[in-house]
Amino acid sequence: MADPTAVRAARGPTPGAPDERVRGQGLLGRLVARPELGALLGAVGVFVFFSAITDQFLSPLGVATWLDDSATLGIMAVAVALLMIGGEFDLSAGVMTASTALVTAMLATRLGWNVWLALLLSLAFALAVGAFNGFLVMRTGLPSFIVTLGTFFALQGLNLGVTRLVTGTVQVSGIRSAPGYESAGFVFASTVDLGGHAFQISIAWWVGAAVIASLVLLRSRLGNWIFAVGGAAGSARAVGVPVTRTKILLFMTTALAGWLVGTINILRFASVQANQGVGLEFQFIIAAVIGGCLLTGGFGSAVGAAIGALIFGMVRQGIVFARWDNDWFFLFLGVLLLGAVLVNNTFRRRAERARR
Amino acid sequence: MSGQATDQPPAGEPSTPDGTGPDGAGEVLLTMTDIVKTFPGVRALGGVNLEVRAGEVHCLLGQNGAGKSTLIKVLAGAHQPDSGQIRWRGEPVVLSSPVAALRLGVATMYQELDLVPGLSVTDNVFLGHERARYGFTRRRAARAEAAALLARLGHPEIHPDQTVGELSAAGQQLVSMARALAHNARLLIMDEPTAALAADEVDNLFRIVGELTSAGVAVVYISHRMEEIRRIGHRVSVLKDGRTVARDLDARTTPTADLVALMSGRRLDAVFPERAAAPAPEPAATGQPALLTVEHLSRAGEFTDVSFTVRAGEILGIAGLVGAGRSELLETVFGARRPDAGRVLVDGVPLRAGSVPSAVAAGIGLCPEERKSQALLLEMSVAHNVTLASLPAYSRFGFTDRDRETRDALDRLTELDLRPADPARAVRTLSGGNQQKAVVARWLVRGCRVLLLDEPTRGVDVGARAELYRVVHELAAAGVALVVVSSEVPEVLGLADRVLVLREGRVVHQAPAAELTEADVLDMVMEGSAA
Repeated sequence: MADPTAVRAARGPTPGAPDERVRGQGLLGRLVARPELGALLGAVGVFVFFSAITDQFLSPLGVATWLDDSATLGIMAVAVALLMIGGEFDLSAGVMTASTALVTAMLATRLGWNVWLALLLSLAFALAVGAFNGFLVMRTGLPSFIVTLGTFFALQGLNLGVTRLVTGTVQVSGIRSAPGYESAGFVFASTVDLGGHAFQISIAWWVGAAVIASLVLLRSRLGNWIFAVGGAAGSARAVGVPVTRTKILLFMTTALAGWLVGTINILRFASVQANQGVGLEFQFIIAAVIGGCLLTGGFGSAVGAAIGALIFGMVRQGIVFARWDNDWFFLFLGVLLLGAVLVNNTFRRRAERARR
Repeated sequence: MSGQATDQPPAGEPSTPDGTGPDGAGEVLLTMTDIVKTFPGVRALGGVNLEVRAGEVHCLLGQNGAGKSTLIKVLAGAHQPDSGQIRWRGEPVVLSSPVAALRLGVATMYQELDLVPGLSVTDNVFLGHERARYGFTRRRAARAEAAALLARLGHPEIHPDQTVGELSAAGQQLVSMARALAHNARLLIMDEPTAALAADEVDNLFRIVGELTSAGVAVVYISHRMEEIRRIGHRVSVLKDGRTVARDLDARTTPTADLVALMSGRRLDAVFPERAAAPAPEPAATGQPALLTVEHLSRAGEFTDVSFTVRAGEILGIAGLVGAGRSELLETVFGARRPDAGRVLVDGVPLRAGSVPSAVAAGIGLCPEERKSQALLLEMSVAHNVTLASLPAYSRFGFTDRDRETRDALDRLTELDLRPADPARAVRTLSGGNQQKAVVARWLVRGCRVLLLDEPTRGVDVGARAELYRVVHELAAAGVALVVVSSEVPEVLGLADRVLVLREGRVVHQAPAAELTEADVLDMVMEGSAA
């Protein structure tokens, strides 16, 4: 009413003239409005840059290296993206990768459990922590940032304390000799031979996670609910979306991803440090944000987060290939984060303005 | 839809409420008996009775604050009544949640549209009741259904894949209506649905309402526009002060004067203290110059060519509906919005357009409508809030003099009788009336000479209102020029010396308060789109 264009739109289409309300549905318009755009441009840029300045980057070994580096980060980033679209954070996600690995390793090495059984229990542990996070956030109305910061520190303390109590050191190793290690290792930590080069199976898990998350997000009822609880929780509740259940499920999903990454790590390296995973939680969030997620929820993409993780991996390994000092990694990261966010922001605004 | 609908007129034109209409025909769908709903400090509903029949448009009339919004929320399952009974087709029901109401067939179109802006039209229409198989949405089916619903609503051009946030207000309202249809609503609640619509959109809306009622759907219709009620309404119930004062009147034949009389006549007289002496009985005669002058102020789409003057010690009341441009006008005078044309003068000196510092320096203060979000730092102390606009006066080399701050705040609090008079208390813990006093105190400390009050008694209970009215009168007696905006006509008439009626951004009338009756003003305010 205040906006003259709104009034014009309200009058409906003039016969014969294209209606402005359906304008901007062209391929380019839709592409520009996608949340992944900034990440995609960044990924192409980084790829071209390191391909040009180093020889190894494009070699099969090089590709396998940066894909591997991206994979475990990517699995987490995808889950964290879902949670962020749902309007919440999980700072305990990084430490969760260590906690689950420690539970699995201790059960298998100290108690002699079958690795599969140990995995099952650590999975139950992860889901319980995730559900606890979600329940506490929904029940108290406290920001998830604070609640999961609490679980983050609690888990870190548990990781260190229990590990030292049980092993006398701050690491657990020796899972290789546990029963069931071979088959579990095959599923979570084997390599696949492609053209004579070994690629980690974690890459497949990463791709799988991104595909499943995207399907859920864009094609399922749950996906609609995730967007709705993040974008307008009150409206969602008013039309019967189970807001609490959806959000708790999202926290459990991040915990599940933490378990998957923890499992991949412990089975691959056969040992785990009690202080592992600290600081990663922000990398997950950064990857998700580069991939187009808004900190305010209701907008984002799982594929974008996977691409965000890919940028991480390419930069981290590209710097190694270029024989630069590793310190430069963070400069790259900061610039990329700002760049991607600015691109996303600009294009989204422009897309919105064009249609009003 | 139902057998009762057969004797309704054909689709496209609302059935005529000429006695043979739905009054005797439609089955009684909903009965609400003695509904009471109390919020802390406020009794929003004090005994509401409502009966809605299938196939009728039941209009709900009442002034702002009469309890219409609360009643809607009770019906939609968003609020639980403290007492009273709701029957659905004769059976007692409990609308325990919005979902429960929707399951029963009660769909609500709120005035503030509750859509998820980031989701597509289709996703919004089916949100919460998705067309899904094994958890995966049947996108094709849902999209087709959404397209069909929009076509039925006369807008096939709205693309089901479009993001709702990109639609115009009218487009979003259609999506909201499509959602109600998708729920197979038996009872549709529409809260001022035409507020955001252009004239031909209104025709389209009424066509749809006509179709729905012919199919046996009941519509509870809320509007301030008499003309609309005459056009599509069958029966009218009137709310006043949270009570039903009239039920089931004929929407077409009941005289407007009767309806206005029912809505007005609020017993607020006792609340308004007699003013010791009218400060400017014949303002023109006194020759006293205007303190605040507003000349030909315009802002596109908000208000047009508004001029008025206020003298020291005078209270100007501005009456108008929500959306008439009242708040925008005050904010423009205060410099928070830049006018497209016109100017604001204090003591004959023009202010810099669109500059709050310039307005404040000239002695203008604004107590905004949303005091919690627009005026107060809720977690901070009363003292801090009160001195917020005058900090330079309390600062030396950038450090604030806390003692003097507290002392001065305390003086003002005593003056305004703010309770508890504890400057260290967090503003959040005060009642609505006392929070409002804290905002007023802020401008008094600043030494303000022109005070703009936007809905000063909103969310303030009746007892505290009398207090605020007293404060306003005392300020006027002390020589402050006041502008009071309110959607409650009795308040404007009781408080102001002179009244300006604003409708759709234009001044339609200006007169001394003593020459106007509540019915006159209500009539002018509500005439709305009556051509």
